Amino acid sequence: MKTPVVASLLFILTPLALAEPLTLSGRNGSGDVIQLVGPDARQQIVASIGERDFTHEASFSVKPAGVVEFIDPGYIRPIGNGKALITVTVSGHSSASIEVQVEKCQSPLPINFSNEVVPILTKYGCNGGGCHGKSGGQNGFRLSLLGYEPWNDYDYLINEGRGRRIFPAAPEHSLLLTKATGEIPHGGGARLELGSHDYQFLSRWIRQGMPYGSETDPTIERIAVFPEERTAGSGSKQQLIVTAHYSDGTQKDVTRAVQFEANQKEMADVNESGLVELKELPGSTSIMVRFQEHVGVFIANIPLGAPVDLPKPRNFVDHHIFRKLDLLGLPPSHLAEDSTFLRRVTLDIAGRLPTQEETEAFLADTHHNKRAAKIDALLDSPEYADWFANKWSAVLRNKRAKDEYARGTYAFHQWVRNNLAENVPFDQFVGDLVTASGEMGQNPPVAWYRTVSDSKEQMQDVAQVFLGIRMQCAQCHHHPYEKWSQDDYYGFTAFFSTLQKKPGEQPGEQIVYHKRRDAGSQNPNTREVLKPTPLGSEAVTVSAENDPRFALADWMRDRNNPYFAKMLVNRYWKHFFGRGIVEPEDDMRVTNPATHPELIADLAEYFVVSGYDLKDLIRVICNSHTYQLSAEPNGYNTNDRQNYSRYYPRRLPAEVLLDAINDVSMTSDRFNGQDQGTRAIALPDDKYNKDVYFLSVFGRPEMDSACECERTLDANLAQSLHLINSTTIQSKLTSNTGRASKLASAKEVADESRIAELYLNAFSREPRPDELQAARAHLEKKRGRAAADEKLSEAQAEREAFEDILWALVNTKEFLFNH
Amino acid sequence: MGGVGLPEILKAESATSRKRGHKAVIMVFLPGGPPHQDMFDLKPDAPSEVRGEFRPISTNVAGMQICEEFPQLARIADQFSVIRSIVGATGRHDAQQCLTGHGVTNSPPGGWPSIGAVVSKLQGAADSAAPPFVGLSPKCGHDEWGDPGQAGFLGPSYAAFCPFRGGGKEDMVLKGISLERLGDRQALLGSFDQFRRNVDSSGMMEGMDTFNQQAFGVLTSSKLAAALDLSDEDPKTRERYGRGSDVLRADGCWKRMDQFLMARRLVEAGARVVTLGFSRWDWHSGNFKRGREDFPMLDQGLSALLEDLKQRGMSDDVSVVVWGEFGRTPKINNNAGRDHWPRVSCALLAGGAMNGGQVIGATDRLGGEAVERPVHFQEVLSTLYHNLGIDARKVTVQDLTGRPQYLVDPQYEPLKELIG
Repeated sequence: MKTPVVASLLFILTPLALAEPLTLSGRNGSGDVIQLVGPDARQQIVASIGERDFTHEASFSVKPAGVVEFIDPGYIRPIGNGKALITVTVSGHSSASIEVQVEKCQSPLPINFSNEVVPILTKYGCNGGGCHGKSGGQNGFRLSLLGYEPWNDYDYLINEGRGRRIFPAAPEHSLLLTKATGEIPHGGGARLELGSHDYQFLSRWIRQGMPYGSETDPTIERIAVFPEERTAGSGSKQQLIVTAHYSDGTQKDVTRAVQFEANQKEMADVNESGLVELKELPGSTSIMVRFQEHVGVFIANIPLGAPVDLPKPRNFVDHHIFRKLDLLGLPPSHLAEDSTFLRRVTLDIAGRLPTQEETEAFLADTHHNKRAAKIDALLDSPEYADWFANKWSAVLRNKRAKDEYARGTYAFHQWVRNNLAENVPFDQFVGDLVTASGEMGQNPPVAWYRTVSDSKEQMQDVAQVFLGIRMQCAQCHHHPYEKWSQDDYYGFTAFFSTLQKKPGEQPGEQIVYHKRRDAGSQNPNTREVLKPTPLGSEAVTVSAENDPRFALADWMRDRNNPYFAKMLVNRYWKHFFGRGIVEPEDDMRVTNPATHPELIADLAEYFVVSGYDLKDLIRVICNSHTYQLSAEPNGYNTNDRQNYSRYYPRRLPAEVLLDAINDVSMTSDRFNGQDQGTRAIALPDDKYNKDVYFLSVFGRPEMDSACECERTLDANLAQSLHLINSTTIQSKLTSNTGRASKLASAKEVADESRIAELYLNAFSREPRPDELQAARAHLEKKRGRAAADEKLSEAQAEREAFEDILWALVNTKEFLFNH
Repeated sequence: MGGVGLPEILKAESATSRKRGHKAVIMVFLPGGPPHQDMFDLKPDAPSEVRGEFRPISTNVAGMQICEEFPQLARIADQFSVIRSIVGATGRHDAQQCLTGHGVTNSPPGGWPSIGAVVSKLQGAADSAAPPFVGLSPKCGHDEWGDPGQAGFLGPSYAAFCPFRGGGKEDMVLKGISLERLGDRQALLGSFDQFRRNVDSSGMMEGMDTFNQQAFGVLTSSKLAAALDLSDEDPKTRERYGRGSDVLRADGCWKRMDQFLMARRLVEAGARVVTLGFSRWDWHSGNFKRGREDFPMLDQGLSALLEDLKQRGMSDDVSVVVWGEFGRTPKINNNAGRDHWPRVSCALLAGGAMNGGQVIGATDRLGGEAVERPVHFQEVLSTLYHNLGIDARKVTVQDLTGRPQYLVDPQYEPLKELIG
C-alpha cells in the first residue's frame, strides 16, 4: 500500500486548494462580528482555505490588546469590554480578519442550572452510566443519566446528602467541588482541576445561592456543528465549532462543553476540544457531537486521490457509487468473471451453490443479457423464498421455545415464505404482521406476538426491524445518541396497548385480539399516559372501538414515511454487500450517517414507487455494475471497506454452508420432523441449532433478538475442527451414494473430467492446470500406494483419493467464502 | 463496528512473542452449593444441630482456621484468602453467577457473556496455538453444572473450547482416518487453497487460517493437545495432584483431580481463562459423609495447583477462584444434610498477585447471614477482571441491541483487601 499513501500526500499538497482565499469562521461558522457577552463567553475560530483547515498552523494576532486573549489556537476569551480585530495569517498566503465585540466582561450573568451547570457534570463524566448517572447512583449520590432530568439533579445536589454537597457559606468546601477535585477521597478520582474555569464557575454558582434559573430563561433548541462536512486528505486535521441555539434567538459557543465521539476511530479521531484528525483509510466517517439532549454530526470524506477510470453506470446505483469513488479517487476493481458472478448471485439470492448444469449452461451462454436473465430466474426459484424466509424468520424471532410451539413456528415460517414467493408487496406483508389478530393456525403472523410478548418489546422490534430505530435506550432515559425521549418511547408503545391474549385452541397457543378501550401507555417517570404517537410525529386519535395498530400500519405504509422504505433498502443492501449504507443497518440516526445518503434516498424512492416490490429491488441491486465488481483488489482499494470499489468476500452462513457441503458431496441431511433432503435454509425455526452442532457452531442465529447481528460469521477453533475432522463431514465424504464414491467408481471417465466435476460443483469453474496437476498427483500417489500395499485395495485407494480431494476443496477459502 | 479484529490481536501477540507471563484465571466451580460452614467458615461454638461434625484446624496464618479435612491447604493458607460473606445468590442451581456475575433474569437478549468469553473478545489469544478460553467440564446430567461459561450476546466465536463435551470433544480425536492421511489432506489443501487472501481486508480469512493451524495442531498432537495429554508430565507431579475419577458424580461433574494439573498446563500453553467443575455438592443428605470423601480430594488437587503455580513463578499471573452457586442451611436436616442457602456462601481466591492469608467478611454465629463486609459475586468478578488487566467498571461490550454493557455493575469494585 505504498502508492496510495504517496497519492494522498499529493492530494494534500495540491496547490489548487491554496489558490483560494483564507476564510475565517466564528459563531455558528459565520464570519460575522463575534459577540462575547459576560466573562464566561468563549469562541472557537476556524481558519480555512477551501476545504482545508489551517486553524492549528495559522498565526493569530489581535488589535487592540486588552479585549480578548487566546487560550488555544483560534480559541478566545474576553478580558475587557470593547471591540477588537483578529487577524489571521497562514505563512506565505493572504491574511483575513474577523471582528469581535466584548460586553459585560466584569459582570457575570445569572447562571441557569440546566443550561450551564448540568453540562459541566456531563462533561466530567459525573452523570455517566458508570458513575453517579446509573440507576440508584454511586455511593449514595445519584444524578440523572447524562443530565436528562435537570430538575431531579438539582434536588439531588441541593436537598439530599443532608445538604453537605453544597456549602453556600464556603463554596470551596462543598462536597461537589472537594470530591470532584479529589481534595477528599473520591471513588471516581480527581476529575476537575482545582481553580480551573469550570471549577470557578461552579463555585460562583454556589456563591450566587445555587440559582436554578427562571421559567422564562431561554432553553436550548438545537446545536449546530461547523463545518458539517469536509473532504480532506488523510493525516489532515479539522477544528470544529459547536454552537448552541437558544429559544430567545441567542447563540453561544459550546465547543468545549460538548461530548465528541468518533464513529470509526480507525478512520478519524477527535479530542475533547473538537480537533479531528483524519487517518489513512479512504472513505467517509463521522464525528458525533452531543450536548444535553441534542446531537449533531461532522462528516469527513477522506480521499485516496488516485486516478479513477470509471466504467459506464448501468443504473442509478452505479451513478451514486461511482460518483463517490471519483470524489475519493478510489478506482474500482474490474468486473467479476462469469463464474464468479454466477456463484455469488446464486448464493446471495437463492442461498445455494449453482449446480454443475447451471454453471455449464451459464458459461456457454453467449447472450449479452445473460446476467440479468439469471437474476430473474433465481428470483423465481423456490430457493429464493426459502433463503429470504430464513432471513426474515430470524429477525422476526420464530422461536420454538417449547415443543408444542411447533405448529405456530411452522405456520409462521410458511406464511413468511408464501409472502416472499408470491412477492406480496412489502408494505402489505408488514401491515398484515403488525395488525395480526386471531388464532395462529388461521392467521399465522399471530405467532409473532407469542415470542415478542410484551407491548414494549413489540414496539421495540417493530421500530428496529422495520424502521431502523433502536428505541431500547429511551425506555429508561432520553436516548443518548438520538432525539428520542421516554415520551416518544411510551407514545409509540401505546399502539400495542390494547392488545390482549387468551388461550388458543391448542396447548402453548394464544388468540390475539384488540380489547375495546382507549389506547395509551404510561411514562413511569412522569406518570403521564401517552396516546399512540408515531415516531417524530403527532399523537393520533383512535376510538376505543378501533385497534390502534391499524393506525400504526397506515403511518408505516405511508409513502412519505421517513424510515420504513429506507430501512428495508438498507437491510437488503447489506444482504448483498455485507455492509449497510448505514451501518449497523438497523441503527439509523442523525449521528450515524449513511456513507451514500443520496443512494439510500433514491433506493427508498425506487422501492416505494415500485409498490414495495422486493424482487424488483433485488433486481436493481444485482444488475448494477457495482454488485458485479470483482473482489480482487487493484493496488489501490485493498483496504476499502465501505465504498464498494470491490466486492467484499463473506464466509457462507451456517445453513448455506451445510447445504453447500451436501451439494458438492451429493448427500443430504435428515432434520427432525422434516423430510429427507430438506435443505438447511428451509428450516422453519431455531430448534435445529440444538439438534445440529454444525448450525450452532457456524453461528446460525438463536433468534433471541430482532437484530441480524445475532448471526455470526466469525471463525473459531471449534469450526475449524468440525470442518477438518468431524464425523458429520467425514460421513458425507465417505457416503456410499456420495460424489467421492460415484467418481471413484466412474473408471471410464478421464481423471481430468472427474476432477473438473468437483471444481465445477464447488467453485463453479474449471480447475486451473496447476490444480489439475495437484489433484492428479494425489490420485497417482494413492494408486501407487495401493500397488505397494496389499491391504489397500485399488478401489479403496481410488475412493480415498477422491474423498481427500473433496475434503480439501471444501476446506479452501474459495469454497467457504462468497466472493 | 470499530475496534481491533481478531487477526490483529493475534498478530500483536505473536509480534511481542509473549509466551509466558500472560494473566490468566482458573475458575473451579463446585456444583450444587458447597457447605460454607463446613469448609472455610466453621462454627465450633454453635449448637450441635448447626455445628456439624467437622472441627476447625489452625493454618500457617495466625488466627485463620479452616476445616480439618483441608490439612494441605492449611499448610499454605498464606497463599490464599477466604471470603466468608458472598451474598446476592439468586438461588438457582447453575454456574451462571460465578461465570458472569449476573443472574439469568433480565438478561439482555442472547444472555450475559461469561468472563472467559469477555476475555476472548477483549484480549484474544495469548498464543496462536491455543484458544484463550477453555472449559474442562464434561457434559453433566444437570447440564447447568457443567456449564463452561457461555458466550452470550458476544456470539459463538468467543465460546469456550471444550475438549470434554459436545462436538468440540468429538472433533478433537481423529476419526476414520490415519494421521498419515490427514497429512496428505493437509498437503493437498495447501496446494488447492491458493485463493488470494488479499481479497479480504476484514481479517476473516487470516483468522480462519490461524484456527486451521490450531486445529491441525490439536489433531497432530501439538501444544493444545499436549497440554491436555498428561502422560509426559513428571510422575511425581501427577502424584502430587492425584488422579481422582472421571466418573460423573450423579448428575454433577466428575471428580478428576488431574484437571487442576490440566488447567495449569493449558494456561502455560496460552489459555487466559480455564473453567472446570469438580464433583457435586448438593448434599441434602449425608453432608458429612460426602465431605469426608470430597474435601480431601479438593484439598489435594487445589493445594497441588497453588504450590505448583508458585513453584513455577506463575502465581502472580494466574488467579484461582473456587466457589459454588450458593451456601447451605445452618441447620442440619433429618438426613444429616444441609439444604439450599442463597443468603451467604464462601469463596477461596489465590494467586493473581492478590494478598494471601486474608479472611474477608464474617457471618453471624450460626453462619446464616453475612454480618461483616458482604461481598457480591460481581465484586469477585471485578477482582478477577482487574487481575487480568481489565477495569470492569470502565470497559463495556456491546450487546445485540447495540447497548454498551458494563462487565459488572459499576458499584462493584475489585476487593481492596486482595489487590491493595
